[in-house]
Amino acid sequence: MFNLPVTNIGGSELFVLEFGDIVNYFSVYTAALFAFALIFTALAIVSRPEKMVDIAFGGDAYYTKEIDPGLLRFQRFMAIACGLATLGAVVSGDVFNFTLFVSMVGITNIGIVAAYKNKHVLNAAFQYGIVAMLATVPLFGGAAIVLATTGTLSLWELYTAAVAVPLIAKIFLVLGVMGEGMAPFYIAKAEITRAQGAPFILMVHVSSLLVFLRVVEIVISM
Amino acid sequence: MIEYLIFALFIGLLFHGIHRKVIARVQGRPGPPIWQEILHTLKFSFKETWIPKTASQTLFVAVVLVAIGIWSAALFILLSGGSILLLFGIYLLHKIVEHGLGLSSGSPYGKFGAIRSVISAASELPLFATVGLIYFFTHSLMLSDIIAYQQVHGPLLIAAFPAAIAMYLVILSKLHYSPFAIIEAKEIVSGNMTEHFGIWRAGLEVGYAIKTYVLLYAFVLIFIGQLPLLAALLLMLLILVSLSFICAVSPMLSPYDTVTVQSLVTGAIAVYIIVLGVILA
Repeated sequence: MFNLPVTNIGGSELFVLEFGDIVNYFSVYTAALFAFALIFTALAIVSRPEKMVDIAFGGDAYYTKEIDPGLLRFQRFMAIACGLATLGAVVSGDVFNFTLFVSMVGITNIGIVAAYKNKHVLNAAFQYGIVAMLATVPLFGGAAIVLATTGTLSLWELYTAAVAVPLIAKIFLVLGVMGEGMAPFYIAKAEITRAQGAPFILMVHVSSLLVFLRVVEIVISM
Repeated sequence: MIEYLIFALFIGLLFHGIHRKVIARVQGRPGPPIWQEILHTLKFSFKETWIPKTASQTLFVAVVLVAIGIWSAALFILLSGGSILLLFGIYLLHKIVEHGLGLSSGSPYGKFGAIRSVISAASELPLFATVGLIYFFTHSLMLSDIIAYQQVHGPLLIAAFPAAIAMYLVILSKLHYSPFAIIEAKEIVSGNMTEHFGIWRAGLEVGYAIKTYVLLYAFVLIFIGQLPLLAALLLMLLILVSLSFICAVSPMLSPYDTVTVQSLVTGAIAVYIIVLGVILA
């Protein structure tokens, strides 16, 4: 019934998942991204965080930081939500759904680190929050331009040769994803890794890289 | 497939040994025997192993398996003529392995390695530029199509020379002792791998050996084309030796300098793509 119009970018179609007129698809490429997101979401569910070792300045002493169970629960919840949003973004067959999932990734990324009580981490999370908030403009703007110029948001239609997507819409989508996930320009995220909870912090990077990889596939295929 | 995986692992470890040997000879040292890395991996496999008490235990082990898994998958993509976009994806996902290794142990040295890994995110940019330029010429990202294109039009090494330089830089960035290898610099012990010892280190050596084989083989397939196995191996060896020379004579860059160099190369290729795509067309 469905035939993926473009197979020379991310490989052939493996199967589709229909939700009414929204048809998510698993190509070799998106299925690989989905599997990777699934593995790290599972790790966020089952892993306990590390105990960070700090060396006291000016001496030989070192100590391990205490973990607040409440913070741990919240971080785990946000990491799982982030994983679910990433799963949705990497297989979405619809530009608007993709942008929704990506913005959810941005929000949950902030949530993972913003609860951690450290000045540097909170500063980084605040700045990241501003970037993510600003990025929603080009992200949804890109989707809006796609709809306005082509009359559809379905990737199944947009991938066909008959539909020409304006370059500006593609640039907006990429800029939006870069702002939400900050990959691969996430040097600003270096401070975020000060926060405790490796399995959850790692989800920040996993989600950023995966949505970036997905938007690359989308803009090349359109 | 499994026999090819073992072959790639063996060759990858041998390449790591040759890499060390060439660096040592250039620097006027005798250096270890070329099979040293194979012996290392065997040694680590049988050493006493445990997980540090401070580590996130599941993640500590899982990242090692992920490292082996993703590079085995990358090898499969090369052999099956799959999408180089997926290969690019796997290269990016290797970054998660680097983060995970450093963050999971709780060690401050591992953490430094992980943070440097975040800073060195620019190492992926040249590969992205490579993918873009290859697509510009071939209009396909499937490796089988790229090989077929080269059979008709000649090696992409000539047509897309800047992309070849970018991918060369990508391979250099991930080699041991490279000027860009800031995540495992000795001033932070072994960086993100500091706490992974015994069987975990052996697992990482396996993953990294397959990675070296995959990246060198991908370079040959993408820029030269399909060659008989022996010719491809010889070419891979030549590329590796040239990289070893660079590693031998270059000091390790500071973290921000690595970002600058990699970003400048990507910028140059972006300009090249714009010139090709917009002005000439």
